[in-house]
This record gives sequence, structure tokens and C-alpha cells, in this order.
Amino acid sequence: MTASLSSVVDHSALKVNQTGIIATVLVAFIGSAFYRPLLVLIPLLAVVLLVGTFAPQLALFKQIYFKVLKPRGIVKPRVVPDRPEPHNFAQGLGGVFLAISSVFLLPLPVVGLALALLVAVLAFINVAFGYCVGCQIYFQLGRAGLIKA
Amino acid sequence: MTTQLWALAVAGLVVLAAACLEAVRSRRARSRSVGAAAATAPEPYILYFTGENCSVCRTHQEPALAKLDGVRVDKVDAIAQRELADRFHVYTLPTTVVMSSEGRSLHVNYGYAPSTKLARQLSDARGGELRAIATA
Repeated sequence: MTASLSSVVDHSALKVNQTGIIATVLVAFIGSAFYRPLLVLIPLLAVVLLVGTFAPQLALFKQIYFKVLKPRGIVKPRVVPDRPEPHNFAQGLGGVFLAISSVFLLPLPVVGLALALLVAVLAFINVAFGYCVGCQIYFQLGRAGLIKA
Repeated sequence: MTTQLWALAVAGLVVLAAACLEAVRSRRARSRSVGAAAATAPEPYILYFTGENCSVCRTHQEPALAKLDGVRVDKVDAIAQRELADRFHVYTLPTTVVMSSEGRSLHVNYGYAPSTKLARQLSDARGGELRAIATA
């Protein structure tokens, strides 16, 4: 029972990325109750996630991990045989949802904030239980033949 | 602050609805899958559905399966062997199916199944067969 995979993924980088998403959404959510301009963090996070999906070298939280946390030994690497595509897809999906959330923030702030919270909940489920909903969607799309999974 | 509370309520309702739907779907798929047939074997064995993109399979499920000494584990790529995956209503990875030696599915676990749970299910499977032999 061996994994026939040549690529590896550092799961600590993924965890740092998800923790960054949760923290940013929570700061925007709670902070905006006292200082409304903090809502700008949500569209900024959408941009960070979408840019990081298409150019992983520009993924902010992952770069914080690779340039700061990992070299200083603050977070230990956990490299496992895995494919990066499902995780990138999940991150992109999070970015898309946050972009939609950003559109709603001014006209319908309840909808905008609820969507952002859902992204944070899904990131939390991934950090806490290792269940990546975006990866499952990637798998289902692959089974349906819509993407090459 | 009211906006935040409403947003929290909306998000909470969506999460609750999703959790309920998932529970119903999982229970329905499990009940449909039990009894599905595959190959016969001298001992109860495990069908392990996985895929290249399943990270939980590698980080959690495979170490759990490795703890089950002497148990036959048939690894199945759920995407490549879609027909077999559909027979057991695999909708998430990993999925593990405890099969009787006659090739009938006895327990279906959607998502990660710890080694203790699998060991208990295998023990049930062996016990069931012993009872069947004793009453035959």
C-alpha cells in the first residue's frame, strides 16, 4: 500500500494559510462592529487568495510560513506525499466566495459577512479535522469528468 | 453590532443545514451500500477507496490501516474504478468498506475511520461468520 505520487505538499504551509484566513475574517467580522472600515480586510483577503491560487509564490500566508515561521522554527514543516492542485482549487474557491462576499458587503452587509464567515468555518474544519471541503468538490468534479482530477 | 449578529445567525443556519443534509446523505448512502457484493476471500477484508488528491487518506487513513496487522486491504482508486466506487455509493474519500469473506459489504465508513473502529467491525465480521458456521 504505497502512495504512487512524486509530488509532496508541506501541510504546515496549508495550516498557516487556513489560520491566516480564519484570523483575517474574524478580525474583519468582530472589528467592523467597532470600526466599520475594517471590512476592507475581506476584499483584500479575496485578492490575496485569488492571487495566491494563480501565483503560489505570491500567496501571502504561505510566504509568511516559508520566509518567517519555518526558518525560525516557529512552525515545523510536515511534508507529505500529496498533490497541490486540490488545495490550490480549495484556496481559489475560498477566494471566489470572499470576492462574492465583498460585492455584498456594502448593499447587503449581513449576506456579505455571512459568506465570509462560512469561508472561515470551512477553513476551521480543515485546520481542526483535516477535512478539506474544496478538495472534495475538486474530487467530485474530477469524477464527473468536468476537470482532470 | 446587529449586522454581525444577523450574519452570525445566517452563517450558523447554513452550517446547521449543511450538517443535517450531510448526515442524512451519509446515512442513506451507508444503508444502500451495505449488502453490495465484491470478490470472495478466505477472511473478512477491507476495500479502501482513495484517490491521488486525497490528503486525509495519506495522513490519517493509511496509517490507521497499517495498524491492522494481517488484514487484507484492497486499495481502489475511486476515480479510475468508478463503477466499483458507484456500487458502494462512494461520495467522499477516504471510504472504507469491511467485506465478509463471501464478498458482502458489512460496514461502510465514509470519511476517515480510525483503526479501533475498523478492528471492531472486522471482529464483528469474523464473529458473524463463526455464528453462521455454528448454526449451519
